[in-house]
Amino acid sequence: MNQFDSSWLGLTAPLNVVAVGGILLLLFESFTIGRGAPAGAAGTHGGAQDDRPARRGAGSLLGHPRAFLATVSLIVLALAAFLEVSVWNTVTAPQVIYRGMLVVDRWSVFLGMVFIVGAALSVLVAGGFMREHRFEFGEFYALVLFSTTGMLILAHAADLVTLFIGVEAMSLAVYVLVGSWRHSAKSSEGAMKYFLVGAFASAVMLYGIALIYGTSGTSSMLALAEIGRPGRPPVEVLGEPVFLVGCFFLVTGLAFKVAAVPFHMWAPDAYEGAPTPVTAFMAAAVKAAAFGALVRVLATAMSRPELTFGPSGWAVVSAVLATLTMSVGNLAALRQDNIKRMLAYSSVAHAGYLLVGVTAMAFAGAEARGPILYYLLGYTFTTIGSFAVVAWYGSRDDERQHIDDWAGMASRHPAAALAMTVFLLSLGGIPPTAGFFGKFYIFRVALSRPGLGWLVIVAVANSLVSVFYYLRVVSTMYFRELGREPTPIQSPGMVGSMFLAALGTLVLGLIPSWLVELASQATMFLAR
Amino acid sequence: MTFDSSLLLFIVTFLPLLGAFMLLAMPREEENLHRGTGLAITLITFICSLFLIPDAATAKAGTWSAVLDWKWIEGLGIHFKLGLDGISLFLVLLATFLMPVVVLSAWRAVTRKVREFIIALLVLETGMIGAFVALDLFVFYLFWEVMLVPMYLIIGIWGGDRRMMASIKFVLYTLTGSLLMLVAIIYLYVQHHQATGVWSFDYDNFRNLVLTTNEQVWCFLAFALAFCIKVPLFPLHTWLPDAHVEAPTAGSVILAGVLLKFGTYGLLRFAMPLFPAAVALAAPYLTVLSLIGIVYGSLVAWSQTDVKKMIAYSSVAHLGFVVLGLMAWNGRAVDGAMLQNLAHGVSTPGLFLSIGVLYERRHTRRIDEFGGLWAQMPRFATMFLIITLASIGLPGLSGFVAEFLVLLGTFDAYRVWRDTGMPFMFGHPKVAGAIAATGVILGAVYMLFMFQRVMFGPNNNPKNKHLPDLTAREVVVFLPILLGVFWLGVRPTTFLDHIDPAVRRTLSQFQQKYAEAPESGKTPRMLVDAPNPAQGAGRGPGQAQPAGGTQGVP
Repeated sequence: MNQFDSSWLGLTAPLNVVAVGGILLLLFESFTIGRGAPAGAAGTHGGAQDDRPARRGAGSLLGHPRAFLATVSLIVLALAAFLEVSVWNTVTAPQVIYRGMLVVDRWSVFLGMVFIVGAALSVLVAGGFMREHRFEFGEFYALVLFSTTGMLILAHAADLVTLFIGVEAMSLAVYVLVGSWRHSAKSSEGAMKYFLVGAFASAVMLYGIALIYGTSGTSSMLALAEIGRPGRPPVEVLGEPVFLVGCFFLVTGLAFKVAAVPFHMWAPDAYEGAPTPVTAFMAAAVKAAAFGALVRVLATAMSRPELTFGPSGWAVVSAVLATLTMSVGNLAALRQDNIKRMLAYSSVAHAGYLLVGVTAMAFAGAEARGPILYYLLGYTFTTIGSFAVVAWYGSRDDERQHIDDWAGMASRHPAAALAMTVFLLSLGGIPPTAGFFGKFYIFRVALSRPGLGWLVIVAVANSLVSVFYYLRVVSTMYFRELGREPTPIQSPGMVGSMFLAALGTLVLGLIPSWLVELASQATMFLAR
Repeated sequence: MTFDSSLLLFIVTFLPLLGAFMLLAMPREEENLHRGTGLAITLITFICSLFLIPDAATAKAGTWSAVLDWKWIEGLGIHFKLGLDGISLFLVLLATFLMPVVVLSAWRAVTRKVREFIIALLVLETGMIGAFVALDLFVFYLFWEVMLVPMYLIIGIWGGDRRMMASIKFVLYTLTGSLLMLVAIIYLYVQHHQATGVWSFDYDNFRNLVLTTNEQVWCFLAFALAFCIKVPLFPLHTWLPDAHVEAPTAGSVILAGVLLKFGTYGLLRFAMPLFPAAVALAAPYLTVLSLIGIVYGSLVAWSQTDVKKMIAYSSVAHLGFVVLGLMAWNGRAVDGAMLQNLAHGVSTPGLFLSIGVLYERRHTRRIDEFGGLWAQMPRFATMFLIITLASIGLPGLSGFVAEFLVLLGTFDAYRVWRDTGMPFMFGHPKVAGAIAATGVILGAVYMLFMFQRVMFGPNNNPKNKHLPDLTAREVVVFLPILLGVFWLGVRPTTFLDHIDPAVRRTLSQFQQKYAEAPESGKTPRMLVDAPNPAQGAGRGPGQAQPAGGTQGVP
């Protein structure tokens, strides 16, 4: 495996396609649309300029100047999805490529599909949103693709160094996306917070990786998984305090990225400030990527029982994080009047439910990874759908994020209200939706091993609390009289995104068996 | 148990849902078309459900009929399994019977968002029927939750002034119980896998699963909480008056007529056969709570000024009888309890419909606003009187036989409890019977008192001088209710003939499983023998032996 093998390119084809697609989009933006008009690049996002006929020349399927770029990015994502399917069929067993840097297995392919779905749905929402709010810029799509590239690297990472590169590639693009809404002060504030905390988290993570490398002599997760075997670091490493601190820092860095309490402080501000399509992208795809990495690290690099169990093992840490994340997320969401912020806290809470699955993985191993994958996909549809409705409902002068602005919405827009109800019920875990089945699936594996019953009870109690604030929105939409006339954004992309997300949420809830089958095939890892 | 009847059961369950989709495709403005479609669909569903009876009759020996078993989520062992027995058959019929009545009663009462209203009713009907016939606990849970959303919307959209609060309270109360039940269901599922190596949510499999007493107690608590909230058992009843008062008439009718029955149905079907040892421990407590419910519910009902709230509290008392009968654990009392379910399911909707009639005319439900209506509305007065008397339990009408059987069974309870080794906490069962009997008397007091103040006396209020009597449509609404009231009173055997074998089968399995419960931590295992009817628990003297074998599903 010392020689470069051209088949490696084929195995990482989706990653390559997305990366190249991102670069091409960036070049295209610079050389055509951006030329002579600094609107896209320099910050004078005047709507009038965007509407100039000359700038329509780039060709548009959806009828506005930068729709062409959106279309291209959707085509790139569709191609990547198609390639993921072929890679899925190729890798019946995990394959390590690029000299131990990347691993291609069905786990990473499944996660890749989750990212692609998330990115595609967000891109659909973004076009109309940016046009309405007059900050349309073509790099948006390139940045989404770059971020997706980072996520794919993260999903494939077999070495802590590639893991770090993936995290950084993903995060850097998202920092820019969060701050891209330049005439919104909240957007800048959110970006600043997210960037500072994110950079700090990255530093902590990198420091942890350095400590692990310094004590064990390797940064390969596969080597760390086989500590004590011939040619691998000796068992004594596991007792080394510096090594343990390194592991702790690494997990802490990832906990920042998944926004687990108490490392969640940035999330509400970043989520609220970011342009809503970006919020959707962060809440779904970025979270899924971070969870994918967390699971991979815990299940390979830290799979030794010495690191898993015991008072300082990650099983305990994860259980504590899960409890805190669920409870704080839900209790904070309970008292939000801003829907976007409420959904931000709800997204924190959902990280908690996922951490229940991660905790169960300590006991149940690969069996717990199917539920996590299922939950991530279901959550991606649901959460992007809900943010899509939020993005769609507000207009430029009137963002309509306060819950009172939603009063009587169902009487004007019954279909959108129905879609929002489906998303909220799914977030609350009420059947027949993806959210219910995902929770059931996670609870099932958690209860199948003794000792986690209490965590499931905590999760159930939290679900109950969450239903209260989700239903508050439903009640407002359906039970109250219409307030000001709603002026939603006219955008076929947004409507399509809502429809697809609702469809996905219901299909995953009603006929989950095929996905359960796929998810269980995707749990094979190297090691353990 | 033919292919046909199982398909019929499937059709009965999903026809309303199909109707809901049909309505979605209809133009928004055609309100009478929506109502007509709703009526047609519910009527067809009712007629189809009648054809389930013959098949259930051939399966009288106490087995499932019309079993439908499809693999649904194979990887997790989840089957889409439906089936009927004597216990669920009449509850399904009750639901399908009440729905056309409800649609017809709301013809003029609901004028806003008619299409959505009918859709909510139809989805609710599918949820209710499905939950009654589900034999896979995952499917049961699914239907159970599916019922929640349309009822929440019915209270919230078409309800009274405080509908926001009432609807959310309804959902949160119900969810509190059901989420814990979900945990217990998953626990059983995992235990079943450990005992047999097979993933399954099948009811029959769970019933043969032997758990330790400790496990049983915890799981029973989770199940019983869900069901006792739904009953509603004192002190978990506080959501009911709010929900009833705020709900539109149609919502109250369904809530009282069918949804509350899930509590007692769930106790008999799931909580008790699955966890007999826990029931033995909990029975005295639940008995006491049901007695408190009977007396307290009656007293609070007596003091109400709002007729609807009074009926809501009377439900607490009437369903207290059902729980009392279930906890006595002998054939008579449980038969009586199931009959009481049906009797309450006919008479209380009738009362709510009567109040709906008054409310549509006067837009108030206060007792002191009325008086002397008999002369104004003779047709209505007759209907209202018959239903009121049925609710009291006048012999010859629906309530009598049921309450009588429950009381009789309760007097026998001591014998059973001693036989099964159940500890007996307070006094003598004759005391329990006596306390419950006062509930019957109190029921007569507050109902007749209310009737007298509303219908008799001088008609002093000028607003009441020109109230129109029942229209032809309203008479049609009441006729099926009257039919049910008389049928249950005069020929209860029509129902008991089906209910009794199923109840006996449940009791005998309960008894056998109770004897098998290990005391302390052992690995879970399954019952070896098929349940044997000869060991049937608590047969009251003079009751017939159950006929035939009591095998599970073939």
